[in-house]
Amino acid sequence: MNLESVSSTALLIAFILYAVSFFLFVIAVTGKKWSSRDPEQHTRKWATLGLFAAIAGLAAQLVFFFTRWYVAGHIPTSNMFEFMTFLAMMIMAAFVVIYLIYRSAVIGMFALPVGVVILAYALVFPPDIQPLIPALQSYWLYIHVTTAALGEAFFAVGFAAGLMYLIRVTDFRNSKRERRSLEFVIYVVLVILAFVIAVYTFKGMNYSASFEQETTRIDQNGQEVTEVGVVDYVLPPLVKPYNSVTVEMKPFLGMTEPLFEAPSWMNGVNAGRKLNTFIWSVIFGAVLYALIRLVLRKPISEAIQPALSGMDAEDLDEISYRAIAIGFPIFSLGALIFAMIWAHEAWGRFWGWDPKEVWALITWLFYAAYLHLRLSRSWHGVRSSWLSVIGFIVVMFTLIGVNLIIAGLHSYAGV
Amino acid sequence: MIDNTKCECGHQNHEGTVLCESCGKPLHEDEDETKPLEMRYDGVARLSQRKNPSLLNRVWNFFSSVKVAIYLILITLVGAALGTVYPQENMFINIDPSVYYKETYGTLGHIYYLLGLSDTYGSWWFKALLVMIGASLVICSLDRVLPLYRALSKQQIRKHLSFILRQKVAYKGDLAQASASRGSSVDAGQWVEDAAKTLRKKGYRVHTDGTALLAEKNRFSRWGPYINHIGLIIFLLAVLMRGLPGWHMDKYMGFLEGETVKIPDTPYYLKNEQFNVTFYEEDEMTDRFRERGQTVPKRFETKAVLYVCEENCDNPAKEPVLKEVARHNILVNDPLEYKGLLAYQFDFALTPRLVSVSPMLRNKQSGQSYGPFTIKMKNPGVEYEAGPYKLVLKEYFPDFSLDEKGMPITVTNEPNAPAFVFSITGPGLPAEGVPYLYFPREADKAQFRQDEINGAVSQVWDISVNSMEDVEIANYTSYLNIRKDIALPYIWAGAAIFMLGVIIGTYWQHRRIWLRIDNGSELALGAHTNKNWYAMRKDVAWMLSQMGISVDPKQLSDEVKKA
Repeated sequence: MNLESVSSTALLIAFILYAVSFFLFVIAVTGKKWSSRDPEQHTRKWATLGLFAAIAGLAAQLVFFFTRWYVAGHIPTSNMFEFMTFLAMMIMAAFVVIYLIYRSAVIGMFALPVGVVILAYALVFPPDIQPLIPALQSYWLYIHVTTAALGEAFFAVGFAAGLMYLIRVTDFRNSKRERRSLEFVIYVVLVILAFVIAVYTFKGMNYSASFEQETTRIDQNGQEVTEVGVVDYVLPPLVKPYNSVTVEMKPFLGMTEPLFEAPSWMNGVNAGRKLNTFIWSVIFGAVLYALIRLVLRKPISEAIQPALSGMDAEDLDEISYRAIAIGFPIFSLGALIFAMIWAHEAWGRFWGWDPKEVWALITWLFYAAYLHLRLSRSWHGVRSSWLSVIGFIVVMFTLIGVNLIIAGLHSYAGV
Repeated sequence: MIDNTKCECGHQNHEGTVLCESCGKPLHEDEDETKPLEMRYDGVARLSQRKNPSLLNRVWNFFSSVKVAIYLILITLVGAALGTVYPQENMFINIDPSVYYKETYGTLGHIYYLLGLSDTYGSWWFKALLVMIGASLVICSLDRVLPLYRALSKQQIRKHLSFILRQKVAYKGDLAQASASRGSSVDAGQWVEDAAKTLRKKGYRVHTDGTALLAEKNRFSRWGPYINHIGLIIFLLAVLMRGLPGWHMDKYMGFLEGETVKIPDTPYYLKNEQFNVTFYEEDEMTDRFRERGQTVPKRFETKAVLYVCEENCDNPAKEPVLKEVARHNILVNDPLEYKGLLAYQFDFALTPRLVSVSPMLRNKQSGQSYGPFTIKMKNPGVEYEAGPYKLVLKEYFPDFSLDEKGMPITVTNEPNAPAFVFSITGPGLPAEGVPYLYFPREADKAQFRQDEINGAVSQVWDISVNSMEDVEIANYTSYLNIRKDIALPYIWAGAAIFMLGVIIGTYWQHRRIWLRIDNGSELALGAHTNKNWYAMRKDVAWMLSQMGISVDPKQLSDEVKKA
């Protein structure tokens, strides 16, 4: 067994431990009303177990992180797989910090799934160790990426607490709009989970298809360059890449040709495949959502609400706010200032309006507005929590969406 | 409406004051008395809250509003997002945007262009937004920081009862009961002194006034927002300064190996001595990655020398006199830097090109060779010597071709297909010399039929190189990004001040506790913080428990609602 496989095994162990920790926290919160036990003692016991599982998972992931660092010779934050695993690790670390301040089991019930889903999402990307291209050969790769991810991790905890607050205070009988919005947020989380399930399902079935795509781009001399590349699909192609011909496609449910072609304005690397994956995720997400609704027989958020009954709403509001207030300076430093210093060294300009840069700025502006609304306009509670939820959606768009639909200098971070 | 701003304690307040500047009593009695007080800026009047504003004051008042600031932030946010829908014009070096967007993205793209969104970040409205955010930053800060400073630097210790009990964290109790259970009586003054001692242990700065107490911690964190705004203003100003002529230069230039090129608008010349590109070796990759069969570049390197021109700089007839001032191996992430001039590795291209050849003059009949002599492709010399023979350069075509009439011309000034017309003189040759056309490149020699053009002369004479060692070739053109940015130090200073302010403002909290004892034993306590109420309640509960009053932190915040 070489070090590289030690590394990937450690990651798998971490993933399992996080999932276990999540269930322990769920038991800690929901098991309070089980008969013949003291609720407080029950919660304390199971939450402590949950915390140990989370910390053990964190330790396993650190083993993964450092062994991979050793094997690759550079910090593993240089592509989408590495960055997403790192983000999940930072979310776990942020969770542990916030948990040690507030000691509330419910935080685990909400923050852990965010980390688990992001780690699951990371596992879909190719985990190969790639040599570093010259643009990434700088110690700023270590500093910029890690601090930005840590700031975003605190935003993730703020999101989890904000969502808890909303579920806690929403009156499901009388507020249709709120209920629908909450269900939509939960559906979005399920879509990410569905994406992972879809990819593993079809990989398990050994499905494959490939296309030959002709792309035209303009090089820096202003000349048009035409390139032909092969795009491989893991999921059955509903959408084929723009301007492409089918090389090979296994029939799927009698379907032998893709239904339609990706639009030309999707610029990202492998945009057609990503659009196809997105559509599959939305479908799988809907199926998953419908299944859960069938089991619960009521809106998911309404089913979660009783678990939060012991939680003080004001505390949740404050946890959400504090997580964001802790994350904001870290994010400013990592995602903007360190980014500017590195951009200045690598590309000769500290700011170039590259889409990724612009979206980091948008994230920053959004949280700046959040802080001003909260401090000066007294937006607390419901409105503030919705902002923390929307803010994290902006973060995820910056991390994933930008790579999905917009091309730019950061495109190497995608797959 | 004229506000009566005089408080019952006798203090004359500024127009627009919410809580008396001295005793803290709410000045507007009409509000709901069970709600916690609005403690923003300690209830002092902002500068902008004055009567009968003039036009200038109205502008000031507009920008002093946080609501306006938030709108500006959100409009900038939406504008910036719109700019990422399609690639911006500046992403391309050579396009006509009026055609490009329509051709590439269709009608939507054309509308995008017509709306000016193809150059969002350079547009007047985006710059105007940034200027307005800057104005808002200055005015919002000044409007609040001065009154707040005044209020915090002269705080009264004994506050009005309604001020204390209407804080979000408040406690009311009778000390006599607590003490009676322990069989002692209360000395209010002593109790306050003991409380002060307890709070000092927690790092509070405590002031007492008989039976009243004010404890305060981390007041400096209140200045955090204003410090970070100063940083942002410096940053924004520096960004705007870059628009001034001479403050900012940004050029992309190609440097062929071995070539010295003048950097326009500066006294500098840069020479690319050598360019290297290396790729990762197979043994540097992990097994799994090797299977992909991808080549990954490892290093781009330009060995660069920077010269400054000392004489004949603007005289094209004379060779400039250069002095070497800097030498650096430019890598990605490691630019050449000299007195604010920066040269970055940007790109490279494989452009094999002749630099010079060192051929021999050969007499085919006798088999004798003369030379070698070196001909440079750029600015070749006029006279060459090969043994007893002399070659004079009559004409030079760097990029040889024939026009419609069959006359030789040069297409460009780049030596893509160099051709030399010599006149050879020497032993056994006519005094006026024999003409000889020479193509150094074998391909050109065949294509333009050198021997046929030279006719009879080529039966006897030949100019050619012995081996490739006599040919000097430049393989690469290295593209460097040449920059000058005088605003940079200000940018970094602004960013550093911003970070300092944000950290002060978010990682520390200003906590205050007021308490007073009336009628010998009635304790009233109120506490306020700008964030982290959780810790504030814990501090108060801890202090009370040290004083023998046990109370759950959570209950402290409900006091107002219960009353």
